[in-house]
Amino acid sequence: MFTRSLSAGALALGLLATGCAGGTSIGANPNEGATGTGEVAGNVRMAWWGSGPRNEVTNAVIDLFKAAHPGTTVEGESADFQAYFERLNVQASSGNMPCVTQMQGRQLNDYTTKNVLLDLQPMIDAGTIDVSAVPAEVLDTGRGLDGKLYMIPYGAAYDAMTVNRTLAEQAGVGLPPEGYDWNAFADWVTRAQPGLPEGIPAVNLGGSLPNNFISYAAGRGESLFADRQLGFSEDLLVEFWDMWERLRAAGVTTTAEATAEEPNQTEQRYVAQGRVLVDNLPGNALTPAQKTLDGTRPGQQLVTLPQPTGPAGPGNVLFTSGFSIPTTCDNIPTAAAFVDFWMNDDAAAKAFLSANGAVTNTRHLQQQLDDPDLPALKHAELDLYQRIVSQKPVSVVYPPGYHASFEGAFVRAYESVAFGGTSTRDAARAFMTEVNAALATT
Amino acid sequence: MIFGRRRSRNPLVLALARHALLVAILVVILYPLLWMVGASFRPSNEAFGTLSVLPGNFTTENYVEGWSLGNLNFSRFFLNSLVITLLAVVGNVVACSMAAYAFARLAFPFKKTMFGLMLGTMLLPYHVTLVPQYVLFNELAWINTILPLVVPKFLATDAFFIFLMVQFIRTLPQELDDAARMDGCGHVGIFRRIVLPLSIPALGTTALFTFIATWNDFLGPLLYLVRPETWTVAQGLNGFLDATGESAYGPLFAMATLSLAPIVGFFLVAQRLLIEGIATSGLK
Repeated sequence: MFTRSLSAGALALGLLATGCAGGTSIGANPNEGATGTGEVAGNVRMAWWGSGPRNEVTNAVIDLFKAAHPGTTVEGESADFQAYFERLNVQASSGNMPCVTQMQGRQLNDYTTKNVLLDLQPMIDAGTIDVSAVPAEVLDTGRGLDGKLYMIPYGAAYDAMTVNRTLAEQAGVGLPPEGYDWNAFADWVTRAQPGLPEGIPAVNLGGSLPNNFISYAAGRGESLFADRQLGFSEDLLVEFWDMWERLRAAGVTTTAEATAEEPNQTEQRYVAQGRVLVDNLPGNALTPAQKTLDGTRPGQQLVTLPQPTGPAGPGNVLFTSGFSIPTTCDNIPTAAAFVDFWMNDDAAAKAFLSANGAVTNTRHLQQQLDDPDLPALKHAELDLYQRIVSQKPVSVVYPPGYHASFEGAFVRAYESVAFGGTSTRDAARAFMTEVNAALATT
Repeated sequence: MIFGRRRSRNPLVLALARHALLVAILVVILYPLLWMVGASFRPSNEAFGTLSVLPGNFTTENYVEGWSLGNLNFSRFFLNSLVITLLAVVGNVVACSMAAYAFARLAFPFKKTMFGLMLGTMLLPYHVTLVPQYVLFNELAWINTILPLVVPKFLATDAFFIFLMVQFIRTLPQELDDAARMDGCGHVGIFRRIVLPLSIPALGTTALFTFIATWNDFLGPLLYLVRPETWTVAQGLNGFLDATGESAYGPLFAMATLSLAPIVGFFLVAQRLLIEGIATSGLK
């Protein structure tokens, strides 16, 4: 499931390191301290990931911007997520990143530590980009290891336990209780299993899903990273994997083989196919997942819940997408104006309609929630996001190499338990040693 | 007393058995393709609901929707791919054949060394040269043009095809060259009148493989053809996928089905040449 991500991440690191080490045009930052003030005119390139539907709404915003700023042009560059970063890495290594580059928190510091992105705080201080409507916890997800703001997060995704409500009711267990923790979750899936149809596991095996552990750590108040090393204890990881091993042994999960083979596209996830009662899915995947379920299991309904809590509080962590401006941008005023427009223009927000995670501008979020024409599933997605943000989720700053080192190693380590019979203690120790060594070299 | 069972020697039975086995293998090989074609006629949200190749709820909507991708028409992607692919085929055939002739027939200093270096380029993963190439083409202001994908083909950069044709040309009798030279031909004449006509199988193989590789290439166009109006078919297909949002599998399968048509057509035209090329080039 993570093979493609791993290869993309490894490719990203290799290319970026090769390109930057080779002395391309990336070097001293000619635009350091740029405030973004100046004439808003001319052309900028904008890059984003997505498919047809997102391309349409993105282009709609671009058209609005051009109408609001006559004389400007915006060249769009889009691709699927993985392809997007494959191209972006080459562009970054070559000093040719688009002036408005979409970024995600988990990849952000692969770039910030290579001096390819501008610190955007001077633009905020100068009033060129207004972020006053973005919650501080959300804004902090755009920071680098040095605390500087390199990404203005415009869309916030989050993990959600996506439950097939219909199957849950048929099993006689309903939904997990409000504020449920991992123990309650484990109890709930165990009670559900006997009442499920033959061949339908209660939960997709989640021991190899890094996002599950990220949630687990957040709920227990442990940091994912600290000083560019893993910030949590070995015991915590052992505890997490032991939980999943108990569930697997109890026969309430998918098999390790089935989980390993599961495609990562939303429409092909088991919960979207009606083949499992519950799974961790991005919260904004509810709409496409339900649409798929309508085709494969007509009449079945999905509902999304916050991640299980822990002793320290909520388990949700935000995964934000936003805009960065590269140091090589040759039209910073227009790029900054575009970012500001995207973040604050009401018509733009309405046109985009939270198509890449929930809109982070709280005014726009409320406008969308209050819109009677908002589709019910989208409303559910945004409502859950609003509830999560109200609990002030912890911000995670991912170190460079996170994607290639952490996620890949996490999957391999758990699979060594599930397939190879390694003890969770040994797997956790090996994982932490490997990842810390990798992070130390990035 | 007869021990053991007598093996049937009935030619008809043996033929039927062989054909049954071949059909079984064919079914296994073609199943994914047939499933995709079947899925292209199912509603998008039912694409993965069955392993059957038969569309339960038949619809052609995927083809209609897929052909119109946003503001663009998929015909644009087909045209782009066709132009790039045909130019690449011409470039590779012309340039690689000339390079191969030089290695196979000309005598020049350091030929063996240069041949080794040429072969050595096959050992370089594409990703090693990716960034330097991109820097070069960016400095030339070729991004968003087809030039990065086409011009190298005219410069004999595909070592595999050079090698393939070298091997083929080496099988041609040297005496033919000698006879042509006695009739007054120089290297240009020998190449054009003797070697090239006799190398049609190898040229066909080069053309076919270049067509397939270029038509299916995704990474090259991804890097250099950024504007949607310049997208190739491979990029257009990628435009239906979104790992972070909603994918449109029905239109994807429909357009993927159509995207196979040029490859199948080209293969049917060139398959005899392909078989001859493989047989005589030592690839078997």
